Amino acid sequence: MSELFFNAFVFPGLLYVLIWTVGLFWFFRKFMAALHKRVGPSFNGKAGSYQTLFDLSKLLTKESITPDGVNPYLFSIMPLLAVIVAMLPSAFIPWMDSFVVIKSDYGLLALVVLIGIEPFLLFLTGFGSHNKYSFLGGIRILTQAISMETAFVLAALSPAILFSTLNLSAIVEQSSWFSFLVLFPGFILYFIALLGLLEQPPFNIPDAEQEIVFGFYTEYSGTNYFLLQVAMFAEFMAVFAGAVTLFLGAYKGIFFDSYLFFFLKMLSIALVMMTIRAATPRITLSQMLNFSWKYMVPLALLNIAWIFFAKSLWFMGA
Amino acid sequence: MEHLKELISRFSCAYVEDYKKIWIKAKLNSKDDLLDVAKALQTEGLRSLSTVSPTDFAEDGIMEINYFFEDLDTKRNLWLKVDLPRDEAVCEIESLTPLFASANWHEREAYSMFGVRFLHHPDLRDIIKSEDFRDKYPFRVDFDWDAHEKETVANVQQIVDAFKKEQSENEVDLESDSSETILNWGPTHPASGPIRLRVHCDGEEIISIDPDIGYVWRALEHLVTKKDFIGAIVAVERLCFMDNINSMVGYAMAVEEIAGVTITPFASWMRVLLGETARISSHFMGMGVFFNNMGLHTLAMWNMDTREFFLDFLESYSGARIATAAIEPGGVRYGLDMRMFDELQKALDKFDANIDEVEAIFVKNPTMRMRAAEVGRLSADEIHMFGLSGIVARASGVKTDIRIDEPYAAYDKLDLEYITQERGSARDRFVMIFEELKSSVAIIKKAKQHIEEAVANGEMNPTKDHMVKVPKKLPKGEAISRVEWARGEVLMHLVTQEKAKSPYRLKMRAPSFNHTMMLDYLLRGQTLSDIPLIFGSLYVCQGDLDR
Repeated sequence: MSELFFNAFVFPGLLYVLIWTVGLFWFFRKFMAALHKRVGPSFNGKAGSYQTLFDLSKLLTKESITPDGVNPYLFSIMPLLAVIVAMLPSAFIPWMDSFVVIKSDYGLLALVVLIGIEPFLLFLTGFGSHNKYSFLGGIRILTQAISMETAFVLAALSPAILFSTLNLSAIVEQSSWFSFLVLFPGFILYFIALLGLLEQPPFNIPDAEQEIVFGFYTEYSGTNYFLLQVAMFAEFMAVFAGAVTLFLGAYKGIFFDSYLFFFLKMLSIALVMMTIRAATPRITLSQMLNFSWKYMVPLALLNIAWIFFAKSLWFMGA
Repeated sequence: MEHLKELISRFSCAYVEDYKKIWIKAKLNSKDDLLDVAKALQTEGLRSLSTVSPTDFAEDGIMEINYFFEDLDTKRNLWLKVDLPRDEAVCEIESLTPLFASANWHEREAYSMFGVRFLHHPDLRDIIKSEDFRDKYPFRVDFDWDAHEKETVANVQQIVDAFKKEQSENEVDLESDSSETILNWGPTHPASGPIRLRVHCDGEEIISIDPDIGYVWRALEHLVTKKDFIGAIVAVERLCFMDNINSMVGYAMAVEEIAGVTITPFASWMRVLLGETARISSHFMGMGVFFNNMGLHTLAMWNMDTREFFLDFLESYSGARIATAAIEPGGVRYGLDMRMFDELQKALDKFDANIDEVEAIFVKNPTMRMRAAEVGRLSADEIHMFGLSGIVARASGVKTDIRIDEPYAAYDKLDLEYITQERGSARDRFVMIFEELKSSVAIIKKAKQHIEEAVANGEMNPTKDHMVKVPKKLPKGEAISRVEWARGEVLMHLVTQEKAKSPYRLKMRAPSFNHTMMLDYLLRGQTLSDIPLIFGSLYVCQGDLDR
């Protein structure tokens, strides 16, 4: 019982997600500032490291405004649900050697499904906001989720096919430098689909602030907005952790295996994502649809064929 | 030119005379001839109508309308006047909008501010002024501002009521089972600035756009009439904070023409130097906004970094970074301490160190090309038709640049060439800003070198030559002056009365007015994603849009 409590509220549960949110948020701001030739947060704590903590706690205590004419239950429960659903995948992730909260033979399936539900919750926040911009944002996020998720799932399937298992721990155990090379095209596809799923540039179409204000976030403030931010960072973690588990060998390190390597791998994915963010403008919805269905999905299917080919060539004996 | 003069002389005119090098000034005897004249001009090639400017001569009971026709290709321009009775009931004239699309908003402005009714105008609604001025004409000389401003609370209530009424009724006509809606894009939108676009759209697709402007209306054209000729520069420079020097140059030139004053060579070179510095500071913002509107803030930050150094120079010269008030009728306001050029040299070095990086990462950006190379395209014909100027016109390959067409300050001593792009898309306008930025820096380098050499030779005295005395009282007269502003053509039409201590009327024609008019034309049938992109590429500043 106490172990379950620890898992739910400390690691890899609530506290872990909160620390990740505060830390990554600060890191994003500092890293972005360097790319922008700015200073970034610098007053509170060493190199402004307390700044995001203060900002988020301020958000938490500010008045949460519920606009006229909305269903207050739908409006307020969605952010909470979004956080919970975004945190759930970490229960299936093998964070360390033989450390998985829920041991399942279908861990990959759970991961993909839980990541896939999130955009629908965000669509409902937009739908429930009674605001034209939020509604447009909701429609956009749904459109984007449907078109990006196809490629995402196909890319995530490639390690499962290669190792003939949906068990995430088993995938990690069987992974090697060689399998990383075989899975590399799949990893690139996964990464691009990840940008789409996480609404990162050039796919930050659903919350394009210059076009539709802030998309589904527009009406949110105070605690609800804080929850949506936590949900966003928890979603980052789930998707990054998925990439690290499926393609990069999770906790496996160079001389020893440790959670440290898991963390560093997640961080390097975040770094690449931020660098793209600092150098690429947003594309339009129709360009995203074109890109997804004309290039991403066919390439993902080709990748599956390549995996079958590689498997029959090198992995059948195992 | 002679042919144009002859053409005008065929109609019954009070006078037809040459004015400056490339203008003809004429006054029609009868307003009934206006449409025929306009048609003749259009066939002659004068396809752009720069602006429509009424002047209210209350004592004579006359409302004089000034039309400024331009031919961007052959640089022949016509200043046409016609008198109307001032009485509101009969103050009306044929609209030129059916012939010159660029007249649309200018006639609406004349209607809103002076109560001149334009017959057969397709869309004669109030523009710029707020709802509390409904049926009042604030720029008429007998308008009582004090009485109007006493009723502040009632005025604000009137604005609020009108807005609420509009919001409750704006979607009534739409079909209830369609996905059509009306979006308020602004005035508190992340990318809009103080302007509101009423976007009628079907889902993501735009059906039409009706811009609502006037959120930063300061009635500058009225304010200058309450100040003396030097105090007026404070209002004039607030046309737009991004490039304030060149608007002051335009105003100062008009005053100097009426006063009959010629400025010193040193002052004219300083006007070039300061003007280009302000142009650079504006272009940096323009480029940044273009990318900001596509969700990429890096360029804006990098540009701000470099821009600070140019503002440092403005600060060392005038004491202010933005509102410099550095140009006065008669020259430039301050003498020059040659050490100030050290600041300028720092800025130029910083610019040279960074510009290649900007070009490689942003100007050649493939994603930007993918988005912007096809949208918002304007052909050369459309530039003429809608009277567009500045970078927007040059991006479509139209060779117009007032620094070359009608040189002022010391621009005639510089060898300038037209910089143009061909395709006229949003991307071309961005590249245009970038190219012009580089040419501005080249101009600054030349001007700086020239001043340094002339000071070393003793030809110029930087502490004494900056100013020629301009009398405080000016004779009766009128003048127009044009400058190439960062965003395009600024035309100032200044009218003074006998022994005037302050301007009687100053019309400021600013380019953003025409460029904003294009939004509806360019965006019909496009998607919501294109609004910020095209809006940013037109390089609009709300300051000179509303004035």
